[in-house]
Amino acid sequence: MENLLMVQNLFFYYGDNEALRDVTLPIRKNKITALIGPSGCGKTTLLRCFNRMHDLYPNNRYSGEILMDGQNILDKKVDLIRLRSSMGMVFQKPTPFPMSVFDNIAYGLKLKGVRNMNVLKERVEKALRDSALWDEVKDRLNHNAGGLSGGQQQRLVIARTLAVEPQVILFDESTSALDPLSTQKIEDLMVELKKEVTIVAVTHNMQQAARISDFTALMYIGGLVEYDETEAIFTRPKHAMTEQYVSGRFG
Amino acid sequence: MNTLSNRKFINFLAMAISVLCASVGLILLVIILYDVLSQGIDSINFRLFTQDPAPPHLNDSGGLKGAFLGQGLLTLVAAVIGVPIGVLGGTYLAEYGRNAKFSKIISNISDLTASIPSIVIGTFVYAIMVKPMGGFNGWAGATALAIIILPVTLRTTQDMMSMVPWSLREAAFALGAPYYKVIVSIVWRASMSGIFTGVLLAIARVAGETAPLLFTSFNHGFFTLNMQGAVPSLTVSIYQYAASPYANWVKLAWAAAFVVTVMVLILNIIGRLFIRFKVKKG
Repeated sequence: MENLLMVQNLFFYYGDNEALRDVTLPIRKNKITALIGPSGCGKTTLLRCFNRMHDLYPNNRYSGEILMDGQNILDKKVDLIRLRSSMGMVFQKPTPFPMSVFDNIAYGLKLKGVRNMNVLKERVEKALRDSALWDEVKDRLNHNAGGLSGGQQQRLVIARTLAVEPQVILFDESTSALDPLSTQKIEDLMVELKKEVTIVAVTHNMQQAARISDFTALMYIGGLVEYDETEAIFTRPKHAMTEQYVSGRFG
Repeated sequence: MNTLSNRKFINFLAMAISVLCASVGLILLVIILYDVLSQGIDSINFRLFTQDPAPPHLNDSGGLKGAFLGQGLLTLVAAVIGVPIGVLGGTYLAEYGRNAKFSKIISNISDLTASIPSIVIGTFVYAIMVKPMGGFNGWAGATALAIIILPVTLRTTQDMMSMVPWSLREAAFALGAPYYKVIVSIVWRASMSGIFTGVLLAIARVAGETAPLLFTSFNHGFFTLNMQGAVPSLTVSIYQYAASPYANWVKLAWAAAFVVTVMVLILNIIGRLFIRFKVKKG
């Protein structure tokens, strides 16, 4: 099985606070890896290392490596704009931009320099179809994206991410603000998408991790407790803590 | 003493006092508006906009053509100077410099500037522009107004941009957008109506200023586009004509007061409508 990313002895600090301690785990290509653990365990911090979101804020520091095609993406010399356009991110709350549905999807493409209207139209339609949103919005592509429902907005954000054809999509508790039906649509979508992309998903929802992920990593106070195939994590965990966490006895 | 009725009484007293104070303010405002509107509407007519001022005692002739144009010119130039600096400065404070100590200092100084009496700004500009340039001139007047526009625009821009949630910026960064694009295409866009409202209210404020113009652009009765010399304005005309002993000049002052009031009112209403529009949109 191919690793797309390899996290190696990763430490991360918010100023003087150690938020990640010696994390080592692979991210398998075209699979869904779920990051689980109690609040404050560092799973979102780890997720935001992959697209270097931490670089937006002062006094954040990495040590260790995240390797992608043999290159350490935490290297100072890495072009963040290129890195981020290969690592899509979907946030907890939907983040539609204050513009039309079409312009939302085309935003990343325009950043990449796509100007041809026919190409844009084609790519926007494909992204919307791939995110199962096309039928619902095809008649209101010019309407403000803020008018869509929460679930639709979240799929719009996924479509916006897909449009730039990333290698990885990072989901940061992306269904926690949605109703069960919208959540199910997004879960189905994630499973469908892994044919094309690699997915890393932070989730508080144990059932969700069990339903959709292929691999699961349990984290606790900044460290990795256990990483394994999801089935193994949920049915025959090696650590007592994992067993307790997935059965809901702590966390 | 029965504590419940005691509390009820204090409650009633507090309400009565606040209602009274609000009424005093409101009544004064209504009297001022009524006076200006009723006196002004009598004096207003077409020649107000088409004629230059007539000599005293020449009743039923004369207008303030030059002052209208001058007021518009001064306000426009002030906006052209003050608004871009205010918006870009506010953008710096809300974005690039949001964590810098330097920005906090700038922000505080700006708030301080906003509360300086406008006549002080007038005398300041007199010292730095009118004296060195050798006389009253339009640029000095516009600069004085721009100095009043600047801190208001700066603060509004900073506040409106800071209200845009960080997750929206992060979402744009996550797509690989450089910071300037995030600002222009996301943050400005999301805060546009708020910034626009602030700009409009700032312009409305200087459109009614007299003191900063008194020592800078001064006033005269002629029609001019020459910003190198003195430029007439409605507000200074009101100040001078209202204090004159001539009935036809006093009438002109009322008419000018009427027009200024209505213009400022319209600008304010447009500004408020924008706020409401924004609130409705979410």
